[in-house]
Amino acid sequence: MMSTIRVLQAADQGRLELESIVEVLSARFTVATGPKQVVRRRRLDTFDGRLRAAGRMLEHQIVAPGERLVLGRLDGSSTVAVPVQDLRWPARADVLPSGPVREAIASAIGIRALMVVSDQRRCMRRLELRNEDGKTVARVEVDEPASVSAVAASPAQLTVRGLRGYDEPARRADRLLVGLGLRPVEHGEDRAPSSAPKTSGTDRSAPAPVLLAAALSGFLLAMRENLPGLLDDVDIEFLHDFRVAVRRTRATLKLGRPALPEVMRSRWEPAFKSLGDLTTPVRDLDVYLLDLPTMSHWLVTAGPKDLDPLATHLRSRRTVARRPLVASLRSARFRRLVRGWGAELAGLVDMPQDGDREHLSAGQWADASISQAYRRVARGGAAIRADSPAADLHELRKRCKELRYALEVCAPVLPEGPRKHVIADLKGLQDVLGRFQDGEVQRHALRGFAEEMMTDGTSAGAVLAMGELIGHLDVEQDRARREFDGAFARFAGPSSQRLMQRLGGGR
Amino acid sequence: MKVLATYNIKGGVGKTSTAVNLAYLAARGGRRTLLWDLDPQAAATYMFRVRPRVKGGGRALVTRRRPIEALLKATDFENLDLLPGDFSYRNMDLELDDTKKRTRRLGQLLDSVGADYDMVFLDCPPSISLVSENVLHASNTLLVPLIPATLSLRTLDQLTRFVADSQGSRPEVVAFFSMADRRKRLHRDVIDAIPRDRTRVADTVIPALSIIEQMAERRAPVPAFAPNSRAAQCYEQLWAEVCPQ
Repeated sequence: MMSTIRVLQAADQGRLELESIVEVLSARFTVATGPKQVVRRRRLDTFDGRLRAAGRMLEHQIVAPGERLVLGRLDGSSTVAVPVQDLRWPARADVLPSGPVREAIASAIGIRALMVVSDQRRCMRRLELRNEDGKTVARVEVDEPASVSAVAASPAQLTVRGLRGYDEPARRADRLLVGLGLRPVEHGEDRAPSSAPKTSGTDRSAPAPVLLAAALSGFLLAMRENLPGLLDDVDIEFLHDFRVAVRRTRATLKLGRPALPEVMRSRWEPAFKSLGDLTTPVRDLDVYLLDLPTMSHWLVTAGPKDLDPLATHLRSRRTVARRPLVASLRSARFRRLVRGWGAELAGLVDMPQDGDREHLSAGQWADASISQAYRRVARGGAAIRADSPAADLHELRKRCKELRYALEVCAPVLPEGPRKHVIADLKGLQDVLGRFQDGEVQRHALRGFAEEMMTDGTSAGAVLAMGELIGHLDVEQDRARREFDGAFARFAGPSSQRLMQRLGGGR
Repeated sequence: MKVLATYNIKGGVGKTSTAVNLAYLAARGGRRTLLWDLDPQAAATYMFRVRPRVKGGGRALVTRRRPIEALLKATDFENLDLLPGDFSYRNMDLELDDTKKRTRRLGQLLDSVGADYDMVFLDCPPSISLVSENVLHASNTLLVPLIPATLSLRTLDQLTRFVADSQGSRPEVVAFFSMADRRKRLHRDVIDAIPRDRTRVADTVIPALSIIEQMAERRAPVPAFAPNSRAAQCYEQLWAEVCPQ
């Protein structure tokens, strides 16, 4: 295994003189100079940079006549390479050749697809530095841009790579090269893909619309960033993240009513509700498809193969459901909505105060919003009885989401510690409510799918297997229902209340 | 981490060639691979051009006075590291005998680098000894090269009994014919007649080819210096048969 000792470049960031490099290294090593190769280096990561977050770096290197995938650590401490063929991006980890490289990548990226985050043609040449036994004891990679125009953006570099158990030869090579006038550079790193902007740093005394506009602009950016991947169906998380941004927008508009102009309620709240509704059918189908492998483990008498007709049915339904979604998101109407919303947000901060609106500061609005959202959760939860209908728990789940979004949107003006603790407590309650609601919705949906599939002449085995799933969901929903009282008591307990008071929500 | 040991009580049957070539193929396929040359003759170490020396000798390794990580050497091939052989390994039985859990020590040493490797090959010396018992406990697979001769079958029998009689977890024994010469009637007969009911026997047969002998001269695995040779193809087939999923 290899590790990077140092990356060096010419003092003027210009061309590296190979002859001088070989000459200086030949003083201590036998230098075997490899052929110059044009390498297409495609850096890969998921849209949200999961590999980078896991401290990994992945490159798809194409060098005639072959291709390889190189997985390394960001600090250059080790690299593993595996030969590949005909890979096309974006793609999920399951297209990679089976083995430890795929396993390492899959565990880091989950269900997300790998995308090309940078693509460069470089001229690479490898020098093997050998000892008197002919053993390679260090490597030097000379890496230059393939075209003159790319030099300024990415100058020529030289990497000294040490081999395990041979640290000293690599250090010696490094010293020889520095003596030649090369200078060390920081290990080059691409920037991570952009994410929603942080709104931290907002003063509590700033007008509330400033805080709201910053949060809403972040959600708009998330929608814009996820739109291409959603339209191209790169992976299901683009739609998920797009929906989350829409839902957060809706919740923020609702919570922000006291501080926002009337047009937000009359025009934009319905617009985003329609947008959210538009995305629901495909997302629901995505969730079923995603959960199918897990669901297959629930089967007792049926086998996983019995669920194949359901998978086929779901995929077919999804294809149909995507058509109106994609058509709407490609429409002029949607473009106008996004453009108009951007303009609305740009004008929000400077907008003259509406006579009927309160002149709230960010801090006042945050306190009031969290207080209101918390009261709704506390009231709704306390009203749940053993015989309460499922709809009441669903309503409570929505109130919990509003509180969660309020805690997130107001983060810049809230103390971080209590906020995180409250969110942790709230997550426990949301988890129970989520499982209850999923059971409720999925049981009905599976029944509906079974009816549709029977009309299409599906097998009895498939319907019976789906019956088993419904039975399991029923049991799970009961379990979640039994856990509710405990989860709510933990959330509404004295310690949570004290934390909420510190956040302005316990009043 | 999966551990595969090339082992036979007899010497000169192709253990080292097999370990070197399969370790190379595992690494070439993207597995982070370690080859531990347990043989004091250090032939595998020589083939990778690494000096056959372990600081502090086998004793420092077995007693953990020197951590195994500090003794590893990268080979010239990506993903493939070597724990070199050392002449002091001739005393490894004695060193192991002085330790607690004396039949498990090699496995414990390997566990300490388990996170770094997907595949470990053990190139074993030809004997039945305390080192062999350690190898049995540390391995998932015991790959046994057999020269197609009547006595080889007897040796396989002895070895299978030795594994069956050992305490605790036992590796899967996979035998395969090595250094086979199809022109020899005896070789053909033995290959056809080997009982396959008690021990798994790989379908791949590694022929006696001069290019395999050249490994010592070229100091590299066959698929590295002769990738299109018949020998390289045979080792690829064998690896496809025995590689853990």
